[in-house]
Formats: sequence, C-alpha cells, structure tokens
Amino acid sequence: MSCDQFNQWAGAYLDGELSEADRRRFEQHLATCEVCRREVADLRNLTEDLDMMRFKEPGDEELARYWSGVYNRLERSFGWILLSVGAILTLCYGAFRAIEELIRDPTVSVILKVGVCALIAGLVVLFVSLLRERLVVRKVDRYAKEIER
Amino acid sequence: MDSTEAALIRRCQAGEKEAFEPIVRKYAGRAAGAATVLLGCPHDALDASQEAFVRAWRHIRRFNADRPFYPWYSAILRNICRTRLRRRARRRTVPLAEGHASPSSDGNPVALAEQTERRQRLFEAILTLKPEFREIILLKHFHGLSYKEMAEALEIPIGTVMSRLHHARQALREVLGEDGS
Repeated sequence: MSCDQFNQWAGAYLDGELSEADRRRFEQHLATCEVCRREVADLRNLTEDLDMMRFKEPGDEELARYWSGVYNRLERSFGWILLSVGAILTLCYGAFRAIEELIRDPTVSVILKVGVCALIAGLVVLFVSLLRERLVVRKVDRYAKEIER
Repeated sequence: MDSTEAALIRRCQAGEKEAFEPIVRKYAGRAAGAATVLLGCPHDALDASQEAFVRAWRHIRRFNADRPFYPWYSAILRNICRTRLRRRARRRTVPLAEGHASPSSDGNPVALAEQTERRQRLFEAILTLKPEFREIILLKHFHGLSYKEMAEALEIPIGTVMSRLHHARQALREVLGEDGS
C-alpha cells in the first residue's frame, strides 16, 4: 500500500474505527514513515479540536422565546387544518348546489351541462390518481420511514 | 434511554403539549446549532429547527417512546435542511458568501461553548464546506456517532462513511490552510 492509501486510514485510526489487523498494519507503516507520522499528528490536532466543539446551551430567556415559537406553530398548524377542512367542505357543498341547479335548469344548453359534468369527472379522476400516487410514494419514502422509527 | 424522556414522550403521545416543552428546551441549543451546520449559515437555522420540532410533534404517535428522541428528531431536521438547501439552490436568493457570516449573527443564539479564537475559526471553516461534508462532521464530532451509527443514519456503507469523513477533514484543513501544501 502507498502512503496515499495509508493516509485514507489516518482518520479511522484516530477514531478507533480500524479493525485490529488494519490497525497493526497502519502502526507498522507509521513506524517506518515520517510523512505519515506527521500527517497523523496534524490530523490528531484537528480531530481533538473538533471533538471539543459543543454548542452553548441557550439561556432561560432564549429558551422561553424558542419554545413560544414552537408552541405558536403547533397551535397555528391546528388552525390551518380546521381552516382547510372547513374551506373544502364549504367549497364542495357550494359546488354541488351550483351544479345541481345548473343541471336542473331547462334554459341551460345540454352541451354546457355535459361539459360541466366532464369537468367534474376529470377533477375527481385526477384527484384520486394523485392521492393514490401519494400513498404509493409514502410507502417507499425515506422520510416517512424515518418518521416510523 | 432516559426514563423521564420516555415518560414525557408518552404524555406527548396522549396529546399533552405541556409535556413537549421540556423536550424542546432540552434539545433547542443542539438543534439550532445542528441546523446552522447543516444549512451552512445561521440564516433560517432557528426556523428550520423549530419546524423540525413541529413535525416531530405531528408524528409523535408513530415514534417508539422507548427509543432516544434526539436521533429521530435529528433525522427529521436533516430532511428539512436538505429540502431548504435544494430550494435555496433553485432560487439562489441567499448568496453563499452571506451565509458564511459569523454564526452568532442574524439573531441566531447559536454559539460555541468554551469559545476560543481557533474554535471559532474552525466553526466558520466548517460552514464553508459542501453540505455532505458538513453533515458528516456534525454527526461525527458534534453528535459523537460511531461509523456504524453514521452509516445507518445516512444509509450509506461504512466504507463511504470513512472516505467521506476523510475528504471532509482534508477539505477542512485546506480551508484552514493546514494541509501542508
């Protein structure tokens, strides 16, 4: 193996992630190679610094603001669900009554009635197709799997 | 697994929003910091981390309360950040240079514990890396995951974890001017 290939192992060596056999091979190489020894020493400085990095815990005031932001969103999301359900029901009912009246109206031409019926049927078919696709995608969706964990 | 956390999660699953507050408070700092690293800048990080908590709450009934909360939350957060990065790349409304401002700017409370000039420089260097490098540095050094755990979290082979981490560290050394060249 060349120094370049051994170099790829340097990080895993410092992380204690090399197998016993690879670790021994790597150490044998280190014993004879000044360049790789220097590389490991430099990398050790970097990984030690990285390992020491932690995020500061926010103060009480910041945490209160943070929680209040999350809480407001939780409440709002419930409001959005109610609003959406209400809007869908109202629109569906309104559309149903309007179409019913249109179909019963003898002054409206048959072509327009057929056109409106085709439009509605098309919308229903598209909606069902999209819904089915969404449900199929959900089964193989990586994000959905993570949610199930 | 912390039994108090499991008990809190069970209360959340029963619909008690108050039980979610200690969980959010416990992980808020880590979550906002992780979002800053994943997004490469403090812009949006607080918002992304809060959105991830909201999404976690929405799906909390499907979560196994006997498992630790943070790894599950972290997977949700990573997905949200990936989506935001994709959107940002499409819109290109936030220039990258702007994103590399100080992590404490933009009203974001993210800061490093035991801050030294070198660590601050290191943190800013991390933010300039490619998203996949930032992600693996976050998982290894901030979250302390093993290669096996990272492979599971990222759904990649352990060999890929090793080489990605190697390249991420090399890129970091180049940014810091410590690559020996």
